[in-house]
Amino acid sequence: MPHCIKKYYFFIFLLVAGCKSSPKVEMLPVETFFKGAQKFNYRISPNGKTLAFLQVYKGKSNVFVRAVNDTARVQLTNFEDLSVRNFNWVGDNKLICEKEKDSTNSFSAFLINKDGTNYAAVKNKANTKSAILNNTIHSNNILITNNDRNESFFDVYQLNIETGLKKLFVKNPGNILVWFADEKGNVNLGVGGDGVNETIYYRATAQEQFKPIISNNYKNTLQPLGFTKDKRYIYALSNINRDKLALVEFDCVEGKESKLLYQNADADLVEVLNSSLNKEPALIAYEFEKRQLHFLNAKYKKVYTAISDKLPSQEISIIDKDEAELNFVIKASTDKNPGAYYIYNVDQTSLKKLSEVNPDIKPNNMSSMQAIRYQTRDGLTIHGYLTLPLGTKTKNLRCVILPHQGPSQRNVWGFSPEVQFLANRGYAVLQMNYRGSTGYGKEFENAGFKQWGAKMQNDIFDGVMWLIKEGIANPKQIGVFGYGFGGYSALNQVINHPNTYKCAASYSGYINLFTYIKGFPAYFKPYKLMLNEMIGDPETDIDYLRSASPVFQIEKIKTPILIAQGGKDSKVNVNETNQFVKELRKRNIAVNYILNENETQLFKNVDNKLTFYKQLADFLDRHLKPQ
Amino acid sequence: MKTRILSYRKNFTLIASFVVLISVLLIIVLCVSYNLTKKAIDNEFSAAKVDVLEKTVLPYNAFFQNKIPEISFYQGFLDSSSAREYAQSVLEKYPFVERILFYDAQISNRLVQDGLRTSSFSIGLKGLYQYGLNVNKDSTILFSANKPGSLSLSNGDEFNKIGLKLASYIANVDTTQMISNDQIFNIFYNISHNRITYINVLRREDIKMYKDLMFKKMPPSPYYEQDVFSFELNPYKLIIKNTHPQLYQQVSIKPLSFETILDKPNLITTEIALPLAFSNFKLYLSTDKAFLDKEIRRKFLPVCLGILAVYGILLLLVFLIGRNLKVNQKLFSLQYDFINNFTHEFKTPVAVIKIAGNNILNANDLSDTELKRYGKILDEEADKLNDLMNKLLSFTQIENRSINVKNEEINIDIFSQNIIDAFQLKYSDYEILLDIKNVNSFQSDPVLLSSIFYNLIENAYKYANADNKFLKISICKIKKNIVFSFQDKGIGIDAKELNNIFKKFYRIQSRYNQQGSVGLGLAFCKELVTFMNGTIQVKSKPGKGSVFEVTLPYDK
Repeated sequence: MPHCIKKYYFFIFLLVAGCKSSPKVEMLPVETFFKGAQKFNYRISPNGKTLAFLQVYKGKSNVFVRAVNDTARVQLTNFEDLSVRNFNWVGDNKLICEKEKDSTNSFSAFLINKDGTNYAAVKNKANTKSAILNNTIHSNNILITNNDRNESFFDVYQLNIETGLKKLFVKNPGNILVWFADEKGNVNLGVGGDGVNETIYYRATAQEQFKPIISNNYKNTLQPLGFTKDKRYIYALSNINRDKLALVEFDCVEGKESKLLYQNADADLVEVLNSSLNKEPALIAYEFEKRQLHFLNAKYKKVYTAISDKLPSQEISIIDKDEAELNFVIKASTDKNPGAYYIYNVDQTSLKKLSEVNPDIKPNNMSSMQAIRYQTRDGLTIHGYLTLPLGTKTKNLRCVILPHQGPSQRNVWGFSPEVQFLANRGYAVLQMNYRGSTGYGKEFENAGFKQWGAKMQNDIFDGVMWLIKEGIANPKQIGVFGYGFGGYSALNQVINHPNTYKCAASYSGYINLFTYIKGFPAYFKPYKLMLNEMIGDPETDIDYLRSASPVFQIEKIKTPILIAQGGKDSKVNVNETNQFVKELRKRNIAVNYILNENETQLFKNVDNKLTFYKQLADFLDRHLKPQ
Repeated sequence: MKTRILSYRKNFTLIASFVVLISVLLIIVLCVSYNLTKKAIDNEFSAAKVDVLEKTVLPYNAFFQNKIPEISFYQGFLDSSSAREYAQSVLEKYPFVERILFYDAQISNRLVQDGLRTSSFSIGLKGLYQYGLNVNKDSTILFSANKPGSLSLSNGDEFNKIGLKLASYIANVDTTQMISNDQIFNIFYNISHNRITYINVLRREDIKMYKDLMFKKMPPSPYYEQDVFSFELNPYKLIIKNTHPQLYQQVSIKPLSFETILDKPNLITTEIALPLAFSNFKLYLSTDKAFLDKEIRRKFLPVCLGILAVYGILLLLVFLIGRNLKVNQKLFSLQYDFINNFTHEFKTPVAVIKIAGNNILNANDLSDTELKRYGKILDEEADKLNDLMNKLLSFTQIENRSINVKNEEINIDIFSQNIIDAFQLKYSDYEILLDIKNVNSFQSDPVLLSSIFYNLIENAYKYANADNKFLKISICKIKKNIVFSFQDKGIGIDAKELNNIFKKFYRIQSRYNQQGSVGLGLAFCKELVTFMNGTIQVKSKPGKGSVFEVTLPYDK
């Protein structure tokens, strides 16, 4: 008898010891992930002495300044009604700022000195918008765009930085949407388009008329970046006659590409940073699995290496720099760290931290994101990211599949509050760049044409199969959640595979592709053609569109659903969503429906956002956690 | 103060009046429950029609609530071929839809030839198509924009109605408000006699745009697609689902004006209006009175049976109470007799003692023999009294279970022989045989056992003719019991009396029974045997003799 008891105690001891050895992951509140994040938007003055930044004051973003060498800050504005949405330095002592849309439906702007004096509002009519085009000063003027003259077009104005008065500088011929100015203040380049075809307009001198030099349709991209030293040429990102976006020099007179400057064999270029000194591209970023850099400028490479030594294994991006390129404002972040802003001085090789994006996030409590890839059933390689929850367990986990929105977007490696929120609650999160995603060349992107409800969904499901095959996912605890196209995919996934998924959450997901198509100004013939090719022709592809629209497939839905919807979302008809929910409930499907009448696609109100994520976590726990 | 009469009361009148009362109650309850059932059936008859209606219009509701709004899901993108597909699915699933008109409409601010226009807002018609089971494939196209002006008035009527509704809505709408379900129903549906017309519900953005078209000077706009469907319905093709065939013999759809047929006075009818598009029609439900009566009886039967069962139980109780009363009365008279007998029994020895006493008292001189005789008489009579009292006492004790049973080893042979010897001493003419088989000793209380022996042996002598005083005692062990069998050649017992002989104070009236018996002996034996967990049985043939068999458990 005593022997037995001894044995029993030994087992209890083992049990207790076992519990102790695996560290308990602390569950962080929703607010930690979705409330704390602040944008600072640092800008350094051209002389490198002063920093201006936006900070929240009484709920709205206001402008603050501080000296680079002193942490004391001065608040320039104290708006309590509207936030400042953008700003820039005008010389070393003045700032120009853009405000949010006011009650007259107009976006106004103002000038202010860095000590808070000389506030000068730029006069704006109702329904108009002022935006900064170029902040270099030429005879006391800078360039802004405004649609005073005709609400439909933006003209270029010269703005007197002392008085705040504007003077028409370049009149819009009626078809230009984006203007480009060179460093001398000439505006000889514009891009126009109808959303489908994009045309570049050019004139050699201000006296000439703008002439279209090249048009290309939605399948190709030619994105001007700015003029080269020779004003006949521009730098541009182009994938005309090639698959991946490359940096090229474009001849505006001939209307064709004149020189290939850099291309990557695997990925589109995503960013080109020009040097302020020689006005030439200094740094190119592209993203295959993680963001990678290519340097065209030795000084930049040196600066980067120096910063990287101080902040090892962090992703570093340049936010701003002064004219002499002696002071750089940078942001450093990782997959576990939302990041912090620093200022780096080249002469002193000193790095000072300015502020953190979200001080509530402790990187040690976050999960790491790893790049993964898998083969689809038709042999395509899909790149994705897998985030496992903290802890020792790496197999048989409960999973959330998180398809990105778009679909013409992509997931990137880096800190994502949504992913970390789910991982913190014990879920493995799989994101994938299914066909149709950007960043892997136009062939891959265009492979998504008319495949929204077909091959793209297969790509997502093949990811799930991969997770199960690798043993990472517990096949009985898989859910799917997404926003926009991701929500649409979540619904399609459970329609096509009701036995694999235990639940689906759709955040402003499209439920009807007919409505989605209708949401575009489809009366333009070219636009209609584009939609017909990208999504489907609502007249001839009616069967496909019906099969790809969840609203027509209600009877195939068997799993519990969460639907979050903003009442003013133009891509979804709320009446349709109401009916969708009503019909699901009639079929005894558990539906958690969150309708916020005054929100658009993405909830902006912090409370609505927090409520949504709380409910999402409850919903997933209810259906994916073993009871 | 009135003294309560403490006498035996006869209760049969009470029982009889109770039976009468519950019988009257039974009749009342039956009547009331029958009426209630009738009323319930009547109520059900008028209430269950809602159920019939609900089931009958179920496909109509599905059509109205799901299939029609599906048009909106296509956002106006339907054309003649896709509309045909949609129409076909409607016609197949909903037989009450006879014909479908599809108006392929366009909204713009341009002038239109066929359609309608207010301010600069116009709803034009690109084409009009009809689909239906009886519609010839060739006659699908009723109108095409290629042939302007060819739209007939009757075909254009529904389109104009809903177009006007839409236009007046757009003219007055507050575009900042969301469209409510109520508004959707009022604006995008036009429901008239056997017809539903529907235009796909506009999105908020569409309404804004159309309002601009109507009131703002704008360059010629593009054409915005709208789909208008008009469904012609036939109420007679609704499939009637009689969910209560036991209530309604006939269910049919009749025009609202239809009246009950007067030549059928026994027909009970009820009706209920059909919804919306069929509002000129009603569901007409009728039943023959006899049919309904049958249903009433069917429903009433279990109720009736239930009531009768309760009544039956009550009657049974009355019967049982009555029987008990009867038994008690019999017992009462038995006890009365017993006291009489017993008193008599006491009287004889007491009288003898009295006489003997008197004689002794009055005699002047008593000889020795006389004295001895009187002494003997007194002694004997006192013994008799003592014996009587003992019997009565032990009997009461056994009845009240107040005796402690001893458990002693008894040698059966010696035990039996002693008793037999005593009897043979007493009655010299008594012949007793003893036969003991495969048993020697027995665990029991010797006093109780000897009481049984004495009683049975005494009875055998008492109830036998003078020349036939014979008893055979057989003792044997059978299985787990020991059986004592007392076989005599006495007068025997009548078969009808066999059941009574073990009852207390019961005595068979016979000449052998004139004196010295109180009718307790066998009852006493039975009490004893039962007390010892055994049984006593008797077999008898009148004139031939009786066998008493006492069975006692051997292993305790």
